[in-house]
Amino acid sequence: MIQVEGISKEYKQFTRSPGIIGSMKNLLSREHTLLKAVNEISFSIEKGEAVGYLGPNGAGKSTMIKMLTGILVPTSGTITVNNLVPHKHRKEIAKKVGIVFGQRSQLWWDLPVEDSFELHRRIYNIQDIDYRKNMNIFLELLNLKEFITQPVRQLSLGQRMRAEIGLALLHNPDIVFLDEPTIGLDVIAKDNIRSFIKQMNRERKVSILLTSHDLKDIEEICPRMLIVNKGELIFDGTVDHLKSSLSSGKIITIEFASNPGEYVALENAELIADQGIRKTFKIDKGLDSAIDFVQSVSKRYPIKDFILQDSDIEDIIRRYYRSLEDDNNNELTKQERLSVI
Amino acid sequence: MMMRAHYAIMCKAFSRNTAYRSEVWLRIFGNISIVFIQISIWKALLGTGTLKGIDIGAMITYSLINMSVSMILMSKVIYVVDDKLKTGNITSDLLKPISYPLLLFFDQLGNVVFQIIFTVVPTIIISWLLFGLSFPREPYAIAAFVASLLLALLISFFLGYLIALVSFWFLTTFALDWMITALITVFSGSFLPLWFFSAEWKFIADMLPFQFLGFVPAAIYMEKMDGSEIIWMMGKGSMWVLLLWCATKLLWWRAIKRLEIQGG
Repeated sequence: MIQVEGISKEYKQFTRSPGIIGSMKNLLSREHTLLKAVNEISFSIEKGEAVGYLGPNGAGKSTMIKMLTGILVPTSGTITVNNLVPHKHRKEIAKKVGIVFGQRSQLWWDLPVEDSFELHRRIYNIQDIDYRKNMNIFLELLNLKEFITQPVRQLSLGQRMRAEIGLALLHNPDIVFLDEPTIGLDVIAKDNIRSFIKQMNRERKVSILLTSHDLKDIEEICPRMLIVNKGELIFDGTVDHLKSSLSSGKIITIEFASNPGEYVALENAELIADQGIRKTFKIDKGLDSAIDFVQSVSKRYPIKDFILQDSDIEDIIRRYYRSLEDDNNNELTKQERLSVI
Repeated sequence: MMMRAHYAIMCKAFSRNTAYRSEVWLRIFGNISIVFIQISIWKALLGTGTLKGIDIGAMITYSLINMSVSMILMSKVIYVVDDKLKTGNITSDLLKPISYPLLLFFDQLGNVVFQIIFTVVPTIIISWLLFGLSFPREPYAIAAFVASLLLALLISFFLGYLIALVSFWFLTTFALDWMITALITVFSGSFLPLWFFSAEWKFIADMLPFQFLGFVPAAIYMEKMDGSEIIWMMGKGSMWVLLLWCATKLLWWRAIKRLEIQGG
């Protein structure tokens, strides 16, 4: 369905010299630096697959979506979507693709919600039967009924996003790109949208590529996950695989009867948060060692309570990024050393 | 089949305009003020005499038609494209299985239809009652007038769109729009009909596409052009449409290569 091979995208960024003299200089000559937003990324997505695309701000997520939809032309590499090259067949691909941008709207701001759906039906040339069938489903599942006749500008963010998602799926697309679809929504609205997307993925075999900062989105919808950082693909695999490969560690928070002091000599454990009598440790081995650990602590210091938890996906990702940065720093220091020599 | 999509876009643009109805009265009032001021000036200049065969009655008709044509020009499409580029909302339009310039054109056409019904027609009727207005008698003049309006729409659309595309490189439209508005004001004859231009200035106006945005439709309406002149003008206007269309095609092709949508 989607094939991406060795895709790179470079932006030219003009460097502006500051101040008045600088801006005069900019009028005459402009210097630029090349910024690699996407660097040699390859992956493929099958029909009906749901894939999470994850990365910190500026990792090149939106750039990738824009290249996949043919709005941006890649600097090098090849992309095919439905066996077509996106930037050469933008309009053909658009018929088979649905898009939701959490931060932009496809709806007509001043008109009732249903007008946008009507227009969409004409633009995508949707058959009456399909249109009516989809509208009935969406009115029900996305609860569009309560606001379908209201102008878009009067909707709450949650209502608007529900309408956006319905609109993106109206023409029965094969692929849906969701760019941060739950940004700024409350918990209930998020749940509603997630379960709808999951259902569409399951029942209609719609392929999904989802970017989000909310890892719960990805964990719930996407069995597979791609992680990008600084334009490079650094992980491609299942969420479970990420969890097990990165850590099987446990987080233990212990509440002591009295503060045992800053230095608690405990083997196999790393102190990750310290609030006096409440300390949080991370231990790397399985559950057995966690219980051993609590027992050995309680022998030395009286404890009141403890909480045992798995390290959650956010924590894993956070540590993943951090470990990458450490590697980077190590390389830098190596380079620095070399240049000194 | 695609025509239905374009028609639907036009209808939606039309209904979007109805969301801001209060503007309509202000526009009509503004238009009539402009016509009134122009008529007063020409009354003072012409009195009861004529200049190059134009008397005050003809000038009233000219002012009214020229201003009505200027109400339906699409050169302000610059700001639509500019806004979409600045906010990055152009993405949504580019993701539709429909040609972007056609989408823009029919969106603008919806605005124009709204303008005609709610601004131009009321302005003409009120001005007709206040100041008087003459109508073309020959059927060919009416047909040619309608055709010239179509040319005015297309040329103004392509001009605006062209400027918007140029803003891909400069990322600022204000100065460009200022320039184009000034050129339209002078060379479309909305200040001064091209009949009164000196030979050199008339030559320049003939070389430019702006006369089609006011002067040509008004002159045809007033039956100041004979058959062969009209055909010549229509041919020339069509050439301009073709030329501008090719230019936008070329620029679009270059622009999409370096399109950098901001944000996200």
